[in-house]
Amino acid sequence: MNPKNPLGPTRRAWTKAAGMAAAGVAAAGTLESCTRPPVARAQVWAPVSIYRAAAYSEELYDLVRRIIAEHALDVRGKRVVLKPNLVEFDAHTVINTNPKLVHAALEAFRAAGAADVRVAEGPGHRRVTLDLADAGGYFATVPKFESLFTDLNLDETTKVDLKRPVSKLQSLYLPNTVLACDLLVSMPKLKTHHWAGATLSMKNLFGVVPGGVYGWPKNVLHWAGIHQCIADLHTLFPNAFAIVDGIVAMEGNGPIQGTPRAAGVVVAGASPVAVDATCCRIMGLDPARIGYLQLAAGVQNLGEQLIPQHGERIESVAANFAVLPELAGLRLSR
Amino acid sequence: MLYSEDLLGRQNADGGWSYFLGGSWTEPTCYALLALAASGMGDAAEVRRGMGWLQRCQRPDGGFAPRESVQESTWVTALTLLLPPGTQGVDRSRAEAWTVDQTGRESGWVFRLRLWMLGADSSSDSLSFDGWPWFPGAAAWVGPTALSVLALQKLAKRGGGPASNSDLKKRIDQGVGYLLARRCSDGGWNHGSTRSLGYDSDSYPETTGLALLALHGVDDPKVAAGLTRAEQQLAVCQSSEGVSWLRLGLGAHGRTPLAPVAGDGSKVPVMHGGVMEIALAALTDAAQAGRNSFLDV
Repeated sequence: MNPKNPLGPTRRAWTKAAGMAAAGVAAAGTLESCTRPPVARAQVWAPVSIYRAAAYSEELYDLVRRIIAEHALDVRGKRVVLKPNLVEFDAHTVINTNPKLVHAALEAFRAAGAADVRVAEGPGHRRVTLDLADAGGYFATVPKFESLFTDLNLDETTKVDLKRPVSKLQSLYLPNTVLACDLLVSMPKLKTHHWAGATLSMKNLFGVVPGGVYGWPKNVLHWAGIHQCIADLHTLFPNAFAIVDGIVAMEGNGPIQGTPRAAGVVVAGASPVAVDATCCRIMGLDPARIGYLQLAAGVQNLGEQLIPQHGERIESVAANFAVLPELAGLRLSR
Repeated sequence: MLYSEDLLGRQNADGGWSYFLGGSWTEPTCYALLALAASGMGDAAEVRRGMGWLQRCQRPDGGFAPRESVQESTWVTALTLLLPPGTQGVDRSRAEAWTVDQTGRESGWVFRLRLWMLGADSSSDSLSFDGWPWFPGAAAWVGPTALSVLALQKLAKRGGGPASNSDLKKRIDQGVGYLLARRCSDGGWNHGSTRSLGYDSDSYPETTGLALLALHGVDDPKVAAGLTRAEQQLAVCQSSEGVSWLRLGLGAHGRTPLAPVAGDGSKVPVMHGGVMEIALAALTDAAQAGRNSFLDV
C-alpha cells in the first residue's frame, strides 16, 4: 500500500494483489481505480467515548449502560440490531467480538427500552454461522441466543441501489433485518487488517452483505474495491452506532492470523467514521492514511481536534500495535 | 422422526424450502429434493411442488437465481444439475450451458495479462486452472468449484446435453486441478485461500469433505493427505454439516466412518434444526447405505 495514497494503484500494490490472487483472493481494492467523492467541508463529529476495561467482566454491563446514556441514545420502542464480528474460530487467538460485550449491549439496549434487540452477523468464510457462534462462546454467554440471532447470509433480502457509489457496485442485495432496524450497532473487534490497514466498525459492515447471494467469501466486494465498498456500505446505514471491543484486540497479521494484544479499552460513538479514526490512533495508525476513511470523510476531516471525546484521552490508552512490514507506512507520526 | 418426514414438515407453502424459517431459497430446496429422492420419494407430490418452485428460479440466461426475488444467476445452478434426471421443472440443457461457461475471473486472460505486465507470477498453480465462482464476475472458490465438478461429472455420465463429453471432461479436469492446487498446507481445504501474505491458512471440515467428494476417483498423493486430514477433523468436529460433508467425502474414497458419538452414547454435535443439516444428514446416511446422490447417475 502506498501510504500517501492507499487508494491508488502502485506497482507494489499490483504485485501484492497478484499474490492475493494466487492465494485465492483475487484483486484487492488496490487494483481498482477510484473516483474520490467531493470532499465535505470540515465538520465536528459526534463525540467518541473511550473507556478502560481490563477484562470481559460483569463491569461491562454498567459500562455499556453508561455509554448509551452518555450519547443520549433514545431507543425506546425501537428495533436494535447488534452486529458483532464473527469470522472464524481459533481457540489460540481472538478473532471474534467477545460474546460478553455483546450480551452487555443486549441487556443495556433492552434496559433502555428498545422494543426488540437482535444479534445478527453474516460471516465471510464459514458457512455454518451457528456452529461458529457456538464455538465462539455465544450460546454459552447469551441466554436463548438461537432465538435472538439472525444469520445475515441467509436472511430475506431487498435490492438496494447505491446513490453516487465510489465503488464499482451500482446496487446490492441486503438483508431485511438490517434494512428494517432503527439502529444498527456495529460491534467489531479492534484489529489490524492485512489489506485495509484496520478493521473496525465500518469494515465490519462487510458482514451484512448476504453470502446466500454473493457467496463465501463475498468476493464481489473485493473486485469492486475494498475501501470503496466499505465507504459505500457506510452510506447505506446512517442510523448507526459503534461499540468496539478493544479489551483484547489483535495486532500484526489481522484479521485472522494476528496476535492477541491486551489493549484494555472499549471505544464507542454515533459516528462510525469518528470511532474508527479514534481506534486507528489508539493502535498507532494514521486514520488519514486509511483508504476507506479518506473516502468516507476526506483527509482534512479526520483530525483529532474534530472528534470530541468522553472518558480517557487517546494518549492514555494508545498502544503501538504491531503491523505487517507492508503496512508500516500507515503508522501515525507522533 | 425420519429425516424425510422432518423435511416434508418444513416445506413452504410455495413448494420450496428455506434455510431455517422464512422464504424459499434454491440451495436448501435442492438439498431437500435430493434427500427426498434418495429416500425413495422422488415421485411424491411434495417433490413435484418443490420442482415447480425451482422452475420459477431459472432465469432467461439458463442459470438459476439463489431465490426468486434475486435477479442474478449464481453457483446454485450446479445444484439443480445434481437432481435426478426424472424430476421435471429444470431446463437442464440451458443450465448445463450456463454452468460450463462460468469461470473464475482471475483465470481470465485480462487478469493474467495485467500480472504479466507487472512482472508478477501469473503461472502459479493457483491461477492455472479454471474453477467456478460463487457469483459471476468474481474469482473461483472451492465450494462452487467442487459442486460444479460433481454436476458436470453426472452430466458426462448421463450424456445427451448440449456440451460435448470432451468439453465436459476439459472443464472437469480444470476443476479437479483447481481443487488440488487450492489444498491447504495442513492437508485439507478451506474456502480457497491457502496462504495469505505468506502465512498458511487452516482448512475447514465442511470444505475438506466437499472437496474430497468432488475428487472421488482421483489418485493423487494430495488426495491421500486430504483423507488423513478429514479423519482428524471428523474426530473433533462439532458441526453437524461439517460431520456430514466429512463422511460424504471419506465415503467417496471407500472409507466409511461412523458419525462421532459422545461418551454418553448420544450423537454429537447437536443439530440446530436447519434444512441444510437435516438434508445433508439424510444424504450422508443414504450414501453410506449405497445410494450416493452426488455421484450416482
